[in-house]
Amino acid sequence: MTAVARMTLLHLRTIAPYRIPGLLVFGAIVLIDSRNPVVLVPTLALVLAPILTAQPFVVGDKADLQTLYAVLPLPRRTVLLGHYAWALMSFFVVAIAGTALAALLAQAQGIPFGRSVATLLTLCWALFAVNISIQLPLLIRFGYTRINLLVTTMPVALLLAGVVRLHLVDIESIRDWLALFWVAGAAAIAASATLASHASRQRQGA
Amino acid sequence: MNGDLAFALRGVGCAVGNGFALRDVSFELPTGYVMGLIGANGAGKTTTIRCLLGMRGIETGEIELLGHRVPGPAALRQDVGVVLDHTYLVGDWRLAEVERTLRPFYDRWDSVRYRQLLAEFGLDPRAKVKEISRGMATKLMIAVALSHRARLLVFDEPTSGLDPVARDELVGIIGDFLLDEGHSVLFSTHVTTDLDRIGDFVTLIHGGRVVRTGRKDEILDGYRVVRAGPDELIDLVGVELIGVKRSSTTAQALVRTEEADLLGGGVLVEVPTLEEIAVHIGVSSRNSAATVPNGRREEFA
Repeated sequence: MTAVARMTLLHLRTIAPYRIPGLLVFGAIVLIDSRNPVVLVPTLALVLAPILTAQPFVVGDKADLQTLYAVLPLPRRTVLLGHYAWALMSFFVVAIAGTALAALLAQAQGIPFGRSVATLLTLCWALFAVNISIQLPLLIRFGYTRINLLVTTMPVALLLAGVVRLHLVDIESIRDWLALFWVAGAAAIAASATLASHASRQRQGA
Repeated sequence: MNGDLAFALRGVGCAVGNGFALRDVSFELPTGYVMGLIGANGAGKTTTIRCLLGMRGIETGEIELLGHRVPGPAALRQDVGVVLDHTYLVGDWRLAEVERTLRPFYDRWDSVRYRQLLAEFGLDPRAKVKEISRGMATKLMIAVALSHRARLLVFDEPTSGLDPVARDELVGIIGDFLLDEGHSVLFSTHVTTDLDRIGDFVTLIHGGRVVRTGRKDEILDGYRVVRAGPDELIDLVGVELIGVKRSSTTAQALVRTEEADLLGGGVLVEVPTLEEIAVHIGVSSRNSAATVPNGRREEFA
């Protein structure tokens, strides 16, 4: 197991004791969006995935996990990459589970769904990438206590919800640009990791 | 780098904020011994430990830890166990989960030893971290450190808030750890009675500066505590009264041993405890800081 994988597993174990509230949020979102499965995937990906991403920081601030990370025989860079790996894992698990569930709900209600799923997932990826690119350096630099999740998560989620509800964007019109969205998202995350590395060094000296 | 040293700090300086800083901090511990780092709250003990462990950057000087210059390779932390006055584990982890969580990070993790230590310390593997007492939490962190076979244990105020029985047990655990001559301990505390039993070396720190460092016995031999009536304990030529404390009926101070004979017959001269040395030097340093411009303090060589 690589060091980054060990850090990701540590995050999973960090939030494991608090899985029931997370499952309740998941259930509530599914319940609310069950009549509109197309909205379910972006809601899960843009609300639940960022919450999961931030959860190790929430627990970490209470449990002084910054000290644990400093004591463990890991390079600082690995700790940092572990946060990003955890965020990516959160997104993909939530997106895959959400898509599968949305497909089932759509099929049960006879709602057309399959045609727009790739486009929707791509949009979610791009927005999620922008979201965590802002969120993670702030969380790493200041900790969760000083950075309210609402500041970094809700604007993006509300933006997308507005776009979808008001049909401001014709989702099909961006079909030709999907690859660009994936690349742009990945680039945003890479830039963010570089910034976070700098912020992390500052926090050590503070 | 000197392989015979558990660690060494040489001229370490580090600004912390609110005007507090470590200044020219230098002391070292040979492998196989226990050092007590003594100072009042806010003296700089925790900052010193954080610098030693590479958790805080330094601005001047250098730090050597187990033969490597800090920060050194991450693998260096395989050999260091850190026990603070609080746990740095998720409160809702059960003690068995602590083992499953930390095991992947350590090359020499010994699961059998962890379970044995939990049993020996009376810790229930099914208990949650947040449910155990302060003393038990300290033992848990020691169990973690010993399970990854640390060569250096660093304790930061482990006994503050512990009852005498728990403190006695902790001293016994440290004694067992030191049976291996390659093991060393740094023990920061303001409860100096623990160090009277297990300390080999002592470093006194005050206001971010090392006031005195050396073998405990040499430090104890180097001073005498003197008591007399308030009018009898006065400055004499050739005698420096360190940290004089006066009440309406008595006065007490620390003097260097070689100066004690110069005091009059009405003065009671006794061998000090570490606590008395720490208190008087602390009082003296505080008075010096209050009276000497720009905070310059007198050094006690």
